[in-house]
Amino acid sequence: MEPVIVIEHLCKRFGPNIVLDDFNLVVRPEENVVVLGKSGVGKSVLIKCIIGLLRPDSGRVSVLGQNVPDLGHDELDRLRAKVGFLFQSNALYDSMTVRKNLEFPLRRHWIEISQDKVDAMVMEALENVGLAHTIDEMPEELSGGMRKRIALARTLILKPEIILYDEPTTGLDPVTGKEISTLIVEIRKKYHTSSIIISHDMHCVKLVSDRIAVLVNGKCHAQGTYEELGSSTDREVKQFFE
Amino acid sequence: MPAPEKSNIKLGLFVLAGAFLLILTLYMIGKNENMFGSNFALKARFKNVNGLISGNNIRFSGIQVGTVKGIALIDDTTIEVTMLVATKMKPFIRKNALASIGTEGLMGNKIVNIQPGEGRAPEVAEGDLLANQKATNMDEMLGTLNKTNENIEDFSEGLKIAVRRVNNSTALWSVLNETSLAPNLKASLANISQATAHADAMMNDLRTLIAGVKGGQGSVGALLTDTSFAHSLQEATARIKTVGDKAGGLADELTKMTGDIRRDIDSGTGTVHALLKDSSMVRKLNASLDNVQKGTAAFSEDMEALKHNFLLRGYFRRLEKQQKNAGQSP
Amino acid sequence: MIPSAKFRRFLGEAGELSAFAGRFFSQAPRPRFEWEELARQCYTIGYRSFPLVGLTGFIMGLVLTMQLRPSLVSYGVDSQLPVMVGVAIVREIGPVITALIFAGKIGSSIGAELGSMRVTEQIDAMEVSGTNPFKYLVVTRVVAATLMLPVLVILSDAISLYGAYIGVNIRSVTSFSLFFRQIFDSLSFGDVLPAFIKTFLFGFAVGMVGSHQGYHSSKGTEGVGRSANSSVVISSILIFIIDLVVVQVTDLLGLN
Repeated sequence: MEPVIVIEHLCKRFGPNIVLDDFNLVVRPEENVVVLGKSGVGKSVLIKCIIGLLRPDSGRVSVLGQNVPDLGHDELDRLRAKVGFLFQSNALYDSMTVRKNLEFPLRRHWIEISQDKVDAMVMEALENVGLAHTIDEMPEELSGGMRKRIALARTLILKPEIILYDEPTTGLDPVTGKEISTLIVEIRKKYHTSSIIISHDMHCVKLVSDRIAVLVNGKCHAQGTYEELGSSTDREVKQFFE
Repeated sequence: MPAPEKSNIKLGLFVLAGAFLLILTLYMIGKNENMFGSNFALKARFKNVNGLISGNNIRFSGIQVGTVKGIALIDDTTIEVTMLVATKMKPFIRKNALASIGTEGLMGNKIVNIQPGEGRAPEVAEGDLLANQKATNMDEMLGTLNKTNENIEDFSEGLKIAVRRVNNSTALWSVLNETSLAPNLKASLANISQATAHADAMMNDLRTLIAGVKGGQGSVGALLTDTSFAHSLQEATARIKTVGDKAGGLADELTKMTGDIRRDIDSGTGTVHALLKDSSMVRKLNASLDNVQKGTAAFSEDMEALKHNFLLRGYFRRLEKQQKNAGQSP
Repeated sequence: MIPSAKFRRFLGEAGELSAFAGRFFSQAPRPRFEWEELARQCYTIGYRSFPLVGLTGFIMGLVLTMQLRPSLVSYGVDSQLPVMVGVAIVREIGPVITALIFAGKIGSSIGAELGSMRVTEQIDAMEVSGTNPFKYLVVTRVVAATLMLPVLVILSDAISLYGAYIGVNIRSVTSFSLFFRQIFDSLSFGDVLPAFIKTFLFGFAVGMVGSHQGYHSSKGTEGVGRSANSSVVISSILIFIIDLVVVQVTDLLGLN
């Protein structure tokens, strides 16, 4: 099968800091790829390049057959409707209720949608994360885990083909973290999505990963399944599994 | 966040309130500047507009009727002011109305005053040129005031010199310091005062008498035939004579006294000035002199009146050939 | 050298702000205008500021009247108090004080709101949700501030004048109609229009500076606080600079 994401020779620097240096990665359909790396090595930069929030200095970022840096504004918007993004800080709009938060991407991407359809989709997305009762609450009234699940529901509402998770379990307690990890697995089963998951939480990584890419010094240092990398003797890889 | 519709209603109210106030303000100002309603133009020419500018108010007999539209220099001495006046005021403004430039309050904006002219005239038409009137101008008023001030300055300068001279005269001060002189002078002044008061009283008597004669002019003949009256009149005139003599003596006495004072002082430059220094004495002396003067003046006036009366009487006598001993000319 | 570094930073800030304004003008006229969000912002920025602006306006009118009275009395022209206060409020004090209050309330709230949206990635989230965050967040706020401040200033002027009317009546008596007649008789278009036009500029400056500071807020809660703070400082200074420029321009145009 045709891979959904192909990253070739991706380079990105901020001033003198080289964040990504000739990075290569391929994601196949219905595959959960974890990008493992220490804080501040540019994992977020990688997925922001994929969604087009950042523009790479050089290299190709091909998503669903389209090279993201070459896309115009409208094409990029159409592509983004098929790619979900779960932000590390959830990025729930704190001036809006949960319902409005979920409606926002729907109304933005599908302008001609009817109110009944919107309501149905909002309910479905909330039920998927088990938080239908919070529909009229403000994000600030919810706990961290609930907010993460609302954010996930908002990502899911457009039924994306690809979901990019930016540290989905960071800042959560281990139990909630496990719940989120389970959700990620369930979502893949239910919607047949392909994902890139950025994390350094090894419990989460173990649960969700089909394949792991280790990002060191801006390069894809090693690739393999959890078990393969777990038995690796490479010093850089080994430190994550200790 | 309230329901969107409710907030939109509030927002609408808010914006409309602002827009309403803005339009109201602009309308009120526009009304003041005669932008709405119909107007007609009037012109007036002045030699000097004293800083009048476009937009200044026009008042007709004190009522706001329009604004100045334009000011143009016609030649080196003529400035033409074009005024926009509300059409509704047209029937009240006549062709002979007078325009003048004035000021709102003491230091306010310049205005054009239109005053109705004297007599009748047809009502003004569009573009008429009104005659102008020289207005009381603040600058000119100030000019006059300046002249007055200069006069006062001259005057006070003179006064200053006089006072300085008085102050510098040691002789004068010595006179004033002489303790014996003052009581003497005071006593004599009291005498003079008394005498002249006396004289004055007599004068008054005589004056009433003569006024009676004068007042009874219509029946003067009848009065003069009355011998008892003639007798008292004769007595009166005799008394007047003595008073006149006394007054003459009084004047002599006064002269003598001033002479004495002059001698006392030695250097005679400032006798009068010296007296002027002591205010109470001066007041008394002045009053006395005034009385004497008044007395003598009144006396001579009375004499004149009498004389006239006797001439009159002579005229009657010649007419009627009667009553030869009615009185004698003094 | 420190001064030159500071000066370069100042120039950099000025340049960034100008570029931001340029981005505003290039993006604002493009289609898909966020009308709904604009109305919401107008409500928040305009209507919600009204109580504060109204209260300060009222107090200002009252206090100004009471402060001016003694000096007018000493010239014997206290009957001109309404004229003096009216011209002062309409021409200068109303617009500038209202704009400063507005900068304090709205400038800081825009700075903090956009700053926290930037820090918590809400701006990025909007972008991936098929929304141009610049148009959705910045253009609507700048336009709302530009349109709402003039409305606020007009209402605040009216309330100030009412405060002045009460201020006059504390020590003497004047009728409502005489008071406003005196004021309107003394006002001309040259007083009202430049004052009105400059309020749009003030509103634009407050919206622009607040949005710029917030939109380019640096990471962390400290960055949000700094954005709010510098929004108020910079927009307050800009208000005075604009005021200075406008008075020069109206003077040149002979509108004074």
